[in-house]
Amino acid sequence: MRRILPFLIILSVLGVALGSAWYLKRSASSQPASGPSVSSNSTGSTKPPPPPLTAPGAEPPHAAGPANAPVTLEEFGDFECPPCGQFHPVLKKMQEGFGDNLHVIFREFPLAPAHQHAIAAASTAEAAGIQGRFWEMHHLLYDNQKTWHEAFDARPIFEGYAKQIGLDVEMFKRDINSDLVAHRITEDGKRAHSLGVSGTPTVFMNGREMPFATIIDEAKLRTAIQTEIDARKR
Amino acid sequence: MIHTSTAADPTTTPPPGTKRSTYFYIAVALISLIGLADATYLTIEHITGQSVRCTIVAGCSEVLSSKYALVAGVPLAMIGATAYFSVFSLATLAAFGYRFAGKLLNVLVAFMLLVSLWLIYLQAFVIHSFCQYCLLSAAVTFVAAALLFLRWRNS
Repeated sequence: MRRILPFLIILSVLGVALGSAWYLKRSASSQPASGPSVSSNSTGSTKPPPPPLTAPGAEPPHAAGPANAPVTLEEFGDFECPPCGQFHPVLKKMQEGFGDNLHVIFREFPLAPAHQHAIAAASTAEAAGIQGRFWEMHHLLYDNQKTWHEAFDARPIFEGYAKQIGLDVEMFKRDINSDLVAHRITEDGKRAHSLGVSGTPTVFMNGREMPFATIIDEAKLRTAIQTEIDARKR
Repeated sequence: MIHTSTAADPTTTPPPGTKRSTYFYIAVALISLIGLADATYLTIEHITGQSVRCTIVAGCSEVLSSKYALVAGVPLAMIGATAYFSVFSLATLAAFGYRFAGKLLNVLVAFMLLVSLWLIYLQAFVIHSFCQYCLLSAAVTFVAAALLFLRWRNS
């Protein structure tokens, strides 16, 4: 018995490790398939109604595409998060490919203090939004993420972006620290927490949280959106 | 075939005065289970893509989405899980008196110690971000190495 005991122990541990791995993978693959609806303007009448405790987020949200599009993607993003930067070009391709079938909403979810410039970047985008240039700044921030992420002080870089997209820079500098900008970021944060968002990028498609492995893969995301469009039009 | 007492087998017979060594090996086996759990969790997170996300509690995305998180297409976490399982197996066998296992264990843990130091260097000076799961793994390796060093000094 003493001869086989160590091998029995080893095999038991191997079994537990493989079983745990299988369980973790299964749990991760079957992510929450139900979530609150994110667009009350969409035409789909079969969408689940929003639970009463879901925070609405900043109003009006930063949105692109027709509000009555069959598919709404609501992204909770952090401009300093590298995977959000990777998701950005994928989302752009989806917007180009699906056109009026896609309604995109961006919500601020800066992960401070993990990302030192995250709040400044979110404030920059929101301040640009006050002058009607949110998406231009959104694209610039993601396209140049690596540049300002490594800077000691990112504010001068952000002011350069403001100038680049034709903002009133003095107004922009005032707005960055305004209560309105802070309030919008806080409201988006409240919505994120009410939906159980714990990381970025988190994307909801018509109210259902999508697995990260799907949103980061262009082909998988395209298939998921197309399937949703087909289901809505049926 | 009838097995006689293992006392006659030179590969499994503990040398005299090795009771303390056995405790060290048991301690290494137990601590390696923490590393195994940590690395298994990270492997699944890597495979499902979850580890790459930025989160409030763990700033691991920079580390786990870097090119160093893969070795020839295999997640480093998976290699780590295999290494910790090997440490557990060898430490268990060594605790039961398999002397060859003790020798292999020393070599393996020494190698893991070097890899852990290299990974900490990468996090500190190349990636400029620390992942607490990776630091936990390194801590497990350091403790295992320290235990084996103490065992060697006491033997």
